[in-house]
Amino acid sequence: MSQYLPIVVMAILASIFAAGSFIASGIFAPKRPTAAKSAPYECGIVPRRGPAQRFPVRFYLVAMIFIIFDIEIVFLYPWAVAFHQLSTFGFVEVLVFAVAVFSSFVYLVGNGALDWGPKKRLQPLVEDETESISSELVA
Amino acid sequence: MSGLVQVINSAPALMASVAIHFPSVQYGDLVPELALLVGALVAMVSSALARTKDISFPYTGIGIVTVVLAGVWSYHLSTIVASSGPKAIVAGAMAVDGFSTFLMVLIAVSLLLVILLAEAFIYEVGSRGPDFVALLLLSGSGAMFMASAEDLLVLFVGLEILSIALYVLVAYCAQVTLSREAAFKYFILGGFSSAILLYGIALTYGATGTTNIGQIALFLSQNTLTSNGVLLGGMALIIVGLGFKIAAVPFQLWTPDVYQGAPTTVTGYMASVAKAGGFAGLLRVLYVSFQTVRIDWRPVILVMCVLTLFTGSILALVQRDVKRLLAYSSINHAGFILIGLYVATQSSLGDSLYYVFAYSIMAIGSFGCVSIIGHLKGSTEGPLDIDSLRGLAREHPRLAVVFAILLVAQSGAPFTIGFLAKFSVVSAAALGQHYELAVLAMLSAVIAVYFYLRVVFAMYRPPLTADTEGESGLTLTDDSGDVMIEEDGALDQGDLLTVTRSRTIPVAASLSVGLALAMTIGFGIVANPLISFASSAIPLH
Amino acid sequence: MMLATITTPDLIVFVVSGAAALVGALGVITLRNPVHAALMLVMTLFSIAVLFVEEQAQFLAAVQVMVYAGAIVVLFLFVIMLLGVDHSDSGARDAIRWQRPVAFVSAVLILLEVSVLARTRWATGAHSTTAKLTGSGAHVSELARSVFTTYLAPFEATSALLIIAVVGAVVLSRTSRNRSPVRETERPESVGGSGAEEATLGSTPEVRS
Repeated sequence: MSQYLPIVVMAILASIFAAGSFIASGIFAPKRPTAAKSAPYECGIVPRRGPAQRFPVRFYLVAMIFIIFDIEIVFLYPWAVAFHQLSTFGFVEVLVFAVAVFSSFVYLVGNGALDWGPKKRLQPLVEDETESISSELVA
Repeated sequence: MSGLVQVINSAPALMASVAIHFPSVQYGDLVPELALLVGALVAMVSSALARTKDISFPYTGIGIVTVVLAGVWSYHLSTIVASSGPKAIVAGAMAVDGFSTFLMVLIAVSLLLVILLAEAFIYEVGSRGPDFVALLLLSGSGAMFMASAEDLLVLFVGLEILSIALYVLVAYCAQVTLSREAAFKYFILGGFSSAILLYGIALTYGATGTTNIGQIALFLSQNTLTSNGVLLGGMALIIVGLGFKIAAVPFQLWTPDVYQGAPTTVTGYMASVAKAGGFAGLLRVLYVSFQTVRIDWRPVILVMCVLTLFTGSILALVQRDVKRLLAYSSINHAGFILIGLYVATQSSLGDSLYYVFAYSIMAIGSFGCVSIIGHLKGSTEGPLDIDSLRGLAREHPRLAVVFAILLVAQSGAPFTIGFLAKFSVVSAAALGQHYELAVLAMLSAVIAVYFYLRVVFAMYRPPLTADTEGESGLTLTDDSGDVMIEEDGALDQGDLLTVTRSRTIPVAASLSVGLALAMTIGFGIVANPLISFASSAIPLH
Repeated sequence: MMLATITTPDLIVFVVSGAAALVGALGVITLRNPVHAALMLVMTLFSIAVLFVEEQAQFLAAVQVMVYAGAIVVLFLFVIMLLGVDHSDSGARDAIRWQRPVAFVSAVLILLEVSVLARTRWATGAHSTTAKLTGSGAHVSELARSVFTTYLAPFEATSALLIIAVVGAVVLSRTSRNRSPVRETERPESVGGSGAEEATLGSTPEVRS
């Protein structure tokens, strides 16, 4: 267990820093709130309505990208540990796995998973929003 | 840094101390599974690169090509098995034997029929693009993994591939409330049953020290467990987990709702391939792994079998929706398939598999007819009331005849595949001297005839009066002739998506149903090829 | 007598992480704010990872952190964001009235089951490990050997599962039928069941507005 000591020390230091920051700002920061000060800051403009309550479901695709590569890492970890023993065979098998997963990534991007931002808002409400990015990919 | 160098230098020594025997992977033996996986990937990647997403036929083409390749190769493998014997591949985790190749041919044939049906209907209500075909191919590859699983983990992963894709397919028309509801129910119960199956596998591993199906059998034949609670628990949970998938009573509760709510094409897929996968697992695990402890599982299967036979046939009598009725009929058929497992001889196993084949073909054909009728009635892929069938024989006489033949074949009429299937399992029961079971099965078949004929008679009766008809939903016509879809807000009509379009039977659908019909009658009259193919479907070990 | 074999640092680690896991678990079911509950879940899962390390199960510990504390909780947070952060459950109404007593009873039953199982000696099969486990990294490399030899087929098949997850997410998150008439773009901040349903399967007003 002694090899994990650095992690424990790290965890303790991190919590001390986090707690210290809170305590210090609680003690030293001046607290004189006014209505204008506590309003959300929006470039000096008074917000007209509350922030969006929900994220669009499209962001779920980003989570999906994260998940698939996260799961891939689960398999890469033992492979990396036993890399020398597994030699070429292991490499090929992991490559097959990775290619399969990567092609699903291509599909996701082709379906506009990484396609958000202000550009889309300017577009008219087309039938298929993913057309634009896929034609860009081809071009 | 020096530590790193040390690690790298010590690696050869490590390698010398523990030599790894890598499995030799003969990719030729894996072509059916790999073809479906690669086909799905090709469809997905090509769609990402394509300019427009609003097309379906290229993906249908990709699907057909890969499925035909997989099917032909499976048959090729079966001839190899016939000449040079079965073998275990990929470190003994998978098997190429008569059992797996037979089921893989069946899965490929079913997939072909389903893809054709999907081209005709699913894109009317679901979105176009590669998604449907990709999911279908992936799901089919899962069923093939299950068919050739020689390791419980392959079985489990195959089952997950099969079912997770299926959850999405059931929800493919997610804007239809019924489809959403069905997907949700199926997902919850399916996830539950998968977890139960996995727990069963874990307990079996604990009791025997291996997950390999053949080695479990070997272990159990060489050892006697003095306290076999873990083994029995594992076995029971495996039966429960797979019982959900094959919709055996008492694990059938999801079936009617899901069959009704899913798009009809997907229902056909579920009734054929998903069921075939479940039976592949159940038959192989119980028959091979637990061969020596069959005294423990056979009574359970007997009870399940009788319950399934009668619950399916009796509850089907009172259904008003054709898809629900066919769902209960599917439960009834599962009971017949279980007979072969209960008898548990090599030939009865072949009878069960023959039944699975026959049922799959007839089920896809029947659900294809339901799809066509629903399409004609303005409820594409939606539910279909039996009363709405009335007058069909006058409007579409050929369709009515085809549907009638498929239904009568399911009930076991002579000169069809359905008769041979029923005959083979019942005679297997009689041969095994389980006469009570044979009598019960025939009794249930007689009850089943009634509800099949009910549908047939409905088609040949005069239509209901005009005011009750044509109320199936709102129609919204577009001047340009484009298809417009409107979801009705009312509770009872909210599930009906109505598409205005010239109501003709799509060619792909006729092709699919025609193929199913041809096989139903063809293999019913020229029976020998399929029967001998099924009788060669022997599992490894 | 069992305690005698455990060294003091190990005992301290066990007690601390066990306590943290319990506190986190209690936090998950008592905290009103779903985001806080999710973060408490991270604490529980991380503590369990520490317990895994103490059991010399390094791979499980790594997977616990990567998959559960990482991926699963991120997915939870995504779903919470999709449903709306402020949509905190009041806890006054349970969907199923008897779910709390049933949960309590089943918790007690599971405790009983675990204690019974822990005291019973079941006959189990041959041990399946093929080599002695020596050294701290041996477990993971032993696992790698299994994954790339005995369990090669399920390992490669898992890639299909990941692909399905991707296609499934795309299909289910797709805005309703492409050619359907355009829905209204402005939508009031809705709180409640139908709004939640809309967020997971229906249209995405924020992007389209």
